[in-house]
Parts: sequence; structure tokens; C-alpha cells
Amino acid sequence: MVLLIRLHYVVGKSTLIDHARSSTSSSQKLQHKRPSDTDYVRYSIHTNGMSDRHPLPRRFNVKVGKFGLAKLLLKETLQYLPRAILRGSSGVREALEVITARPCVYGVFSGPLGGFSPRPDLCVGCLRCTIQHPKFVRVLPNPERSLLGDSFLSFQQIGTIDEEAASGHVPVRGQGFRGRFGGPGWDGMWTDMSEIVRPTRDGIHGREFISTSIDIGSKPMHLTFDSEGLISSLKPRVLKLQVPFIFDPPLPSNADQELNEIWANTVENLDSIALFHHDVIEERARWNPWSAPIISTADWAEGWRPPKEVRYAEVEGNPVELSSLDPGAGGLIVGARISFSDGIADEIRMLHGAGWRTIHLVSNLHGMTTGGSFVLDALTQLHLDLVRFGIRDQITLIHTGGIVAAEHVAKAILCGADAVALDLPLHIAAQGRAEGDLSTRGTFAMSMPNAMDTEWGVQRLLNMCAAWRDQLLELLGAMGLREVRRLRGEHGRRMLQSDLEEDAFKDIPGFGEGA
Amino acid sequence: MHNLSASDFVQPSPMVIEKVRHLLRDGFNTRAFGHIQPPEALGDPRWTEELILSTWSMAETGDLPEKIEYCKGRSGGGFDCLDFELNEISISEADLEQIDTSLLLNRRGEGGANLKPPIPWYGGGMSFGSVSEVLMRSRMANSLKWGTYTSTGEGGFPSSLFDYQDAIITQVATGLFGVEEKTLQAVPIIEFKYAQGAKPGLGGHLLSAKTTEEVAEMRGAVPFVSLFSPFPFHSVYSVEDHMKHIDWVKTINPNALISVKVSTPHDVDMVAVGSYYAGAHIIHLDGSYGGTGAAPEIAKKNIAMPIELAIPKVHSYLVSEGIRDQVTLIASGGIRTADDMAKAIALGADGCVLGTTELVALGCTRCSNCERGRGCTYGLTTTDPELSEWIDQQWAMQRLDNLYTALQRRIRLILAGLNLDSVAELRGRTDLLRYNEGRG
Repeated sequence: MVLLIRLHYVVGKSTLIDHARSSTSSSQKLQHKRPSDTDYVRYSIHTNGMSDRHPLPRRFNVKVGKFGLAKLLLKETLQYLPRAILRGSSGVREALEVITARPCVYGVFSGPLGGFSPRPDLCVGCLRCTIQHPKFVRVLPNPERSLLGDSFLSFQQIGTIDEEAASGHVPVRGQGFRGRFGGPGWDGMWTDMSEIVRPTRDGIHGREFISTSIDIGSKPMHLTFDSEGLISSLKPRVLKLQVPFIFDPPLPSNADQELNEIWANTVENLDSIALFHHDVIEERARWNPWSAPIISTADWAEGWRPPKEVRYAEVEGNPVELSSLDPGAGGLIVGARISFSDGIADEIRMLHGAGWRTIHLVSNLHGMTTGGSFVLDALTQLHLDLVRFGIRDQITLIHTGGIVAAEHVAKAILCGADAVALDLPLHIAAQGRAEGDLSTRGTFAMSMPNAMDTEWGVQRLLNMCAAWRDQLLELLGAMGLREVRRLRGEHGRRMLQSDLEEDAFKDIPGFGEGA
Repeated sequence: MHNLSASDFVQPSPMVIEKVRHLLRDGFNTRAFGHIQPPEALGDPRWTEELILSTWSMAETGDLPEKIEYCKGRSGGGFDCLDFELNEISISEADLEQIDTSLLLNRRGEGGANLKPPIPWYGGGMSFGSVSEVLMRSRMANSLKWGTYTSTGEGGFPSSLFDYQDAIITQVATGLFGVEEKTLQAVPIIEFKYAQGAKPGLGGHLLSAKTTEEVAEMRGAVPFVSLFSPFPFHSVYSVEDHMKHIDWVKTINPNALISVKVSTPHDVDMVAVGSYYAGAHIIHLDGSYGGTGAAPEIAKKNIAMPIELAIPKVHSYLVSEGIRDQVTLIASGGIRTADDMAKAIALGADGCVLGTTELVALGCTRCSNCERGRGCTYGLTTTDPELSEWIDQQWAMQRLDNLYTALQRRIRLILAGLNLDSVAELRGRTDLLRYNEGRG
């Protein structure tokens, strides 16, 4: 007798692997397992403020004309003090309070020498000082700060990552959005929201119980059992992670070994995985469930396999080579790591036919495919193609490249990725710097702080990941979604600038005629 | 963590207040005419340094500035890529003043007050707690003078505002803070806030430092404790639930007009239609680039669509449903100038709501530090007793009065340049606009 039973995802700590094992051994129908009070652990990321080791250039420079300030003080002394003396000590106190009243509540002029030696590091750009004293106080954007990053990674994004890594908090500001209307790349997409639907009826906002967990691996649409009740079809083999992001290998830097340690320790805390070239893990001699080796097709073909502690590995190569290899390797989940090129859907279908169920697509650090498309468009097309082929739900798509802000994670998933692998922002969180064009891996080296140590770096990365996860929860909560898995490929919940402008402005003369 | 109490706040001496007020006002005046260079760190693509300075100039003079750009910013899209093709006109002041800029708020013909302010905008919600009482009074007093309205935001309003009750829109928001029978009965318009454009779907959060004893008493809460407004209304899961809400307040105040403030998701057009059939007089769309006292940056930039894109979507859907002339469509969230208002109306709105523009007129530099520490250093978005002293009602009201005068004049000049006699004729006239890609 052959039984076809749809799979149910389980909640709590169990995974589909546990589920399949228990079902197979008992030959019983799969039951929806409900967690007891004792086996449910609410996922959270431990955050802790972590100070700078290589501070970013400050936001503003404050320039005070010493002569102008001295003149003002003299004028106010003559204006207030003589009359105050006549009123005795209380009058003098009040006059001094007036004369020394400073136009900054953030402490820029609260040092021992006041405005004669301002403290620009404390300036938040409110500009009250220069409004009150336009003749001798100037507040200028610091040009050193605007030199950070490149044409894709803006200095504002670097500042945001730095703030997230320092605090672990979601950046909150007053006033409305200050940037450009839309733009190329991710900036040309907004996310949907619901006026009345919230993710769950629990908690104040309903987002307290949103799940950000994902499954990487083989997800067959149904199971087939033989007459003895044993699974006769491809078995589900998934790795459940609590966040939809993993770590790509560290970029070349002046601190390769330290970064490897930080990456490995951070994912252990996150319960995610970090990818390393397998010789790096071998050198560290620390095989564990959170470090995932990247293996060449030659090594894989020759039979090299990681030790049993490892849960996930990737074989790197081109689709043709990979399709000749067998991805099956016991309990190990193996992904195919390939360059993201335009029109790659047919090659992924070929890989699917060869048994590959996890595909890791690598674009450059600006999110461009080898064919020159931005990942937003490329992922969208790929997702639709795989849906058309009828294999989308059987495949896990991981994407790397062009993810430099929390919203990019959600947007990549909306376009069709199941998960993303982070690269550049992890280095920025650890206060690494690089100059020039940052689009191509291997063409530049990150300069990491000299005083970097593992504990500091791990906490900075955990803080950033916590802030990014919290922001993902904000977006999911606004959409009324209770799990990130339901966000994948939800094209109806994204709003593209090009589509909306076409709808709104198509009847207006001049629209579509270009600049 | 240090627990705040009233004793943590200091009251400045009268001499300090006098000095700071003088220096600030002198500074705004000095900057407002373009005689000296704008501060280098002022402005951003949406609110450029020139838009901020021109708003100060209008608040100083009551007229349009001569040397400073006051029509649009440099955001590269939306209003900043739209222009009117205005005819060159010669019109007398008397004829200019004959152009009708009034806004009909009640189009349902089913009872309720017949409200028709003489200008096509009113003031957006800023709650007591997020702004000072003196700022609220100044806005209300100016609205009363102009015959228009200003929303209190969430949390009710202090008793001193009853002097201006004919100009008040009181808000019923998701936290239901400060919602009382006496306030609902006192006002001409009641606004249900489903979402706020700057943080759609995220609810509200009044920081503990701003929950002073007065604010807490009004909200029925504990002083100096953070107050959260959930998202969304926990009692509303359908249009029918929404209708019950509206029926409830109509029972309390049958004469009040009902405004429904929503954000701008994909289905905002259907939300608008649902709100109309639930009994709303006013559909208030709050676009994603609007202001706030505090919001996650990710929400401001990414969630929901800018108002420019939502207005034509809703307008055309209301037209297709055959109910466009039974409901008033109000736009907010990123409306900065008179030109923005006129463009919003040409795209399909009946009128607009201003919030940030009023704050800028009172000295806001858009520094985004409203939520930081003690609040706004200019005394606007704060309840700090010292900082709140930097503005006084007479000064603030005069600046808002001047701003309104200049804005109305500019709208009339636009209408004159389009050969239109009233702002109502401009609604939905996208043919009078020109899209100039790349010029924003």
C-alpha cells in the first residue's frame, strides 16, 4: 500500500528531519506535533552595546569663530552683569546663567572651554547653534564620512550598519523620510502593508510571535510509502535555521584568521551557518554543525566528504559539472554554489533533475548577475520560471550579493529567494573599511580594526543580526504575515516604482519620454 | 535605568528665555531672505535647504519669497518631477482674491455638519506629548482664525484647547488613549487613525520622557512610562467592524464628520471604498514619506507607497465605483508646499493635510532628532519645560498665519495661471500637469 501524506511543518525545536525519522520508525501517520510547555523556546538574539574600535568619521564638523564668540560673551557680560550686581548674589548667578547659556542640548559646547573648544563628535546636526549665531558658528557635513563606501554601498548605509552593530537596536528617528523618491535597484521597490490584518492575535502588535525560521534542503511535495510503510520516495532532508540569513566566507582582509573565528562563533550563537572554504575549516580543526564547507567539484567527485558533525555543505562549480555529481551524502544537506547568470532557470532545472535541491546563487557585491542584471529582476524572473517548471517549492534558493541593508533581506525574499548569505555588511559591522570599487570579490582587501578581538567582533555581528531580524519582523508585521517562509516570492506584496508610476502617471503629458 | 520624574526637568529663568527666543527669532529672520549662505548641513533631497528657508521666509512675511525656490525639492520623483504649464497672466489682487480655494468636507448628503473651510488644507495630527501644549494651542488658534481644522493626534487634548473646539479634529487611534465622550462631543470632525504613513502597520510609541504627568493624566496612564499604541485596531477585522466604530461615534456626536485616516498599501483603493460604505465623510490617505515624531527608518523608506502614487489610484477607483462625488479625498504624507497641494489635487485629491510644513515654519530644520533625549531643541516636538519655552503662542500663531496667507496666494496664482476659478475645478485634471523626468 502506498500512502501519500502531505507534510506539516512543526513548530518549536523539532525539524522535519526529526519528524521523518520518527514517522519512518513507527510507520504511523504523521501527526501535527504540538510543543509542550517545556520544549518551546522562544528564539532571541542576545544583544549588548559594543563600543567602537575603529570609529567612523563623525557626521559633522563644528567651526566656531573665536573672535565672534569672545565678542558675544563680552557684549552679554556688559549687558547683563552690571544690572545683576546691583541685585546681589542671586542676580549675579542669574546673569551668569544667561551669559553661559549654550545653544546645544547635546553637549557640543559643554566642555571646559565651551564654544572655544567645541566637541563635534557630539553634534547631531540640529543646527540650533548656527541658527542662533549665524555670524560665527558653522556646522558642516564631514567630507571624510561621505568618502566611505562606493557607488552601491552608501555612506549612509555604512552609518546605519555601524549603529546597528553598536547597539543591536532598530534605528529610529524623528521626522519623515529624507532620501530620494525611489531609484535604481532595491530603492525602486516598496513593501505592502495591511490596514487591519495583524500576524497573530497574540501580543500588542501581533509581531511578537512571528517566525523568521526557514528550511534549507530537500522539500518533497509528498511522501511515498511502500507496502511495509517505509518511505520509498526521496526523503525530506532539511536544515532549520532561525533566521533567513547565513554568512558567506569572509572577504580577503588584513585579519583573515580573526574574521574566521568571529564568523564561526557568531553563527553558533545565532543558530545559523557560516560558509568557509573547506581548507579553512580543516586548518582551524573545528568541525561543527554551524560551519559549512565549500567544496570544489573535483574534491567532491573524488569522494571528499566532511565529518558527520557538519549539517550543510556547498559544492562550488558550474551547473554542467555539478549536474554530473551526486549530491546525496547521508544526512548531510548539500547545496550547489553557482554564479548567478541571467536565464539560469534551465540550468537549475537540470540540477534539479540531477537531485540538487539547494541552489546558492552568487552575484557580485553590487547584486549584479554575470549578465548585468540587478538581482531584483533576476531573482523575480528565476522564481517565476521555476514556478512555471513546477519545481519551485522543491528547491531552496539562497542568494548572495547586493544585500547591504536590513530591508534588502526582505526584498530579496519577496523577489524569490528563500534565504540570503551576507557578505560585505558583516565586515562593516566589525568596522572594516575598504576603498575604491567594492563590486568584485578578490579585487580589494578589507582593512579590519587593529584592536579587533573575537568577543568584540561576535557581539557586533550579533547586534547587527538582531537589528536586521527585528526590522524583518517590522515588515512582516505590517504585512500581517506570521512567518518569513510565506514572504518568499510574494510578488503581490511588493510594489515596484516602475509599475506604480505607470499606473499613476501614464496619462500625464511627458511621462515615459525620458529626461 | 534612571526613572524620570517631574523633578528631573528644570525651568529656565525669564532672562534665559528672553535671550534664547531673541537669538532664535533673529536667526530665523536672518536666514529667511537668502542674504547669507544657508547652513551647509541644512536640507535633504525631499526638504532641500531652499524649501526650508523659503518656508521660513513665508512664515516671516506672509508672502512668497523672491530669491528662494519654494515650489519643489530634488527628490528625483513624484511631485518633484511634476510641473504645471502655467499661462502668463496679469491679474489684479482683487480678482486674485475672488478665486475660490474652499474645500467641501461633507459630500454625503446624509446629515452631519456642512463644513467648508476657505482653504484646501487642514492641520495634521500631532499628539499632546509628542508636541508641547503651547504648540497645540498655536496651531488650533491659527486654524480657528482661518476657519479650518487641526487634528489633535492620538491621546485627546488638554482642557485649554476647548477654547478652540470649533477647529479641532480629535483622533480615535488604535490605543484609544484620551478618547472620552466629552472630547468626541465637543468637536466638528472625528478622525479614525488606522495607520500612519511614516510607520504603516507599526502602531505608535510615546517615549517615556515625553509622558509627563499632564500627558499621562490625559491618557489615563502612568507618568514617565512608554506608551504603546497597538497596530491595528484590535476590534476591527473587517469593513463591518469598522462601520460599528463609526456608528458608535456617530451616536455620541451625530453632527460630527467622520474622517478615516489610512496608509497607502496596494489595496488602498478598496480600503477607501470600504470606508465610504462604512459611513466616512472623509478618506484621508497618509503617504509613506510623511512626518512622525519617531519611527523606524526602515518603515519610513520602505513600507507602503508615496502619496503621489496613491492619489490617482484611489481617485480613479472612486470614480469607477460612482461614489467620487459623495466622499472627500484628503492627501497627506510628504505634502510640503502649495505646489505640492495643487499637484495632489490635480492628481485627484480634494484637499490636503499639512504637518511638517507647519513645524518648519516654526523653525524645524528637519534634523530628525525629535525623539532624542529631551526632544526638539527648538521647543517643537517636546514636552520638556525648558525647551518648550522657546516658542510662545502669539509668535507661533503669527508665523502660521503668515504661512497660510502665502500658501493660499500661491495656490490662487497657480489656479489663475491655469485659467481656473476654483480649486475644486482642479481636481483630477492630470492634463494640466507635465511630467519632467530627471528634473526633480
